[in-house]
Amino acid sequence: MPDKLLQIEELTVSFDGFKALSDVHFSIEPLSIKVLIGPNGAGKSTLCDCIIGKVRPATGKIIYKGKDISRAPEYRINQAGICRKFQAPGVLERLSVFDNLAVATRQNRSWQQNFRLNLSKPEKDRIEETLELVGLEKRRNLQASYLAHGEKQWLEIGMVVSQNPDLLLLDEPTAGMTAQETAKTAELIRKLVEKHTVLVIDHDMTFVELLKAPVTVLNQGQVLKEGSMEEVRSDPEVISVYLGRAHEEPIHA
Amino acid sequence: MMSKRVLGFSLAALLFLALFLAPSYLSAFKLSLLGRFLALGILGIGISLIWGYTGILSLGQGLFFALGGYAVAMHMVLVQVGDKLPGFMARSFKPRITELPWWWQPFESPIFATVMVFLLPALTAVIIATLVFWRRISGVYFALITQALVLAFTTLIVSQQSYTNGFNGLTNFSTLYGFNITSESGRVGLYLVTVVALLLTWLLAQWLTSTHFGKVLVAIRDGENRTRFLGYNTTPYKVAIFTLAGVLAGVSGAFFTMHAGIISPKDVGIAPSIEMVVWVAIGGRESITGAVLGMVLGNLAADSISSQFPESWPLMLGVLFVIVGMILPKGLVGIVERFWPHRQEEASPALNALKSEVSDA
Repeated sequence: MPDKLLQIEELTVSFDGFKALSDVHFSIEPLSIKVLIGPNGAGKSTLCDCIIGKVRPATGKIIYKGKDISRAPEYRINQAGICRKFQAPGVLERLSVFDNLAVATRQNRSWQQNFRLNLSKPEKDRIEETLELVGLEKRRNLQASYLAHGEKQWLEIGMVVSQNPDLLLLDEPTAGMTAQETAKTAELIRKLVEKHTVLVIDHDMTFVELLKAPVTVLNQGQVLKEGSMEEVRSDPEVISVYLGRAHEEPIHA
Repeated sequence: MMSKRVLGFSLAALLFLALFLAPSYLSAFKLSLLGRFLALGILGIGISLIWGYTGILSLGQGLFFALGGYAVAMHMVLVQVGDKLPGFMARSFKPRITELPWWWQPFESPIFATVMVFLLPALTAVIIATLVFWRRISGVYFALITQALVLAFTTLIVSQQSYTNGFNGLTNFSTLYGFNITSESGRVGLYLVTVVALLLTWLLAQWLTSTHFGKVLVAIRDGENRTRFLGYNTTPYKVAIFTLAGVLAGVSGAFFTMHAGIISPKDVGIAPSIEMVVWVAIGGRESITGAVLGMVLGNLAADSISSQFPESWPLMLGVLFVIVGMILPKGLVGIVERFWPHRQEEASPALNALKSEVSDA
């Protein structure tokens, strides 16, 4: 087992000449949390897109568990243990909460072997566990489109967690959540790191603070700074591009 | 509390009972007409599976329908003429045909023809779906491709007059597996076999949509990308369901041909392919039963209206489609659902959320 779970080297992505990411180096160790922050358009989501195979890099390598996955098909990347929670809740609206988790949890993904009505016992247990983890036990039979926004976010976190991934990408998991829901989510993520490696993207500083994890700052497609939240916050360069972009707007912890 | 599923099943059971008893209360002519539309119901179930459940709109089901229909018609024509050439071949010129073409010969066997009713649409559908879905072509582009294929196929049939009797199609046949299906008892028998086939298809679809496979289909419809990122290779799922819908269309075409006594390019071209989709939309594409109801009732209505207004009929059909698409996305079944008392939590999530918050506190 290499000491890094994921290692990104010299990653460059360009969209019609515009460099969304240029020469990005980034790595994450097993069973840790890392937070990715940066202003809008810094390339945070693009970096995630590359990891899960949605966007193909122009150059560079994404080495996961010792193998370059930058050109593997999406479902293979997923099956290798990388799951992503998207920024906009990507729950399957017309299925029930339970069925959403069932689709995510089901271990066997090949179509010929899915003509059966029942899930296996371990799969059912896993779904129950996940329902409890994200606090949606009472909503199990509700069609997902009827969930409140925060609940959809949790359901989607549940969907990615129930696949038992090694690497979990959470893209703005607290978007649209109330302060109370945000705190609950931070707690949830700190619980997840016992079993999973987590990469969080967000720009809610209060939330990032709650995670107590190392931070990487991206700006204009490049890594600007890496370090703890305190180090990053006191870095003048970071302040100028991001944290204190409007200098009159002080950062609240 | 009676669930929607139980209600749907009891309703469908009653409908099938009425269909099985139909020979006792319908005239021979009406029975044959109903049988023809029930045959189309089988195709409707296929459209519901690919479009309503999986979100793949095909405007080319007429192609598979034609393959099934022509397979059975070729056999029956050969039975009718015995050792001679079919009339249109004997009369043919350019090219002049003096002996039965090699690809017609195996259709002398009823078993071969029956196998072809399933196999031809299945192979065609697998090839089309694999090529197209592997390239990740979907949505309106896929619909256009299927439409182009139907056009190409009907053009081919029409152009090969000597081999296919062109625009006139295949007709003048009556015997299958030794039964005369145009006799009075033969018609009733054919009708009952059609109802059984529809029932089996209906049960198959109900079972399929309740399996995990069926849930993945809905997941693909709601978010194909999302489903891919959940680790599913969606392409084989789509190929499988599209192929099943193709086979159902083929079976439907075979039954239709036997009831109608003819299969010709005008039964399978672009217009009928679109009409099939319209009826399923009106009945309710997200419901298997709705698709059958839409197909049968729609065609019954169309049968009388279109003969009175043959010219403006396509226009009316188009307007109907637009209206249904805009105000009734779930079709007639959607209206029924709206008036059916929902479970409370579904009817008012906000209220329910409030309740659970109160009880949590």
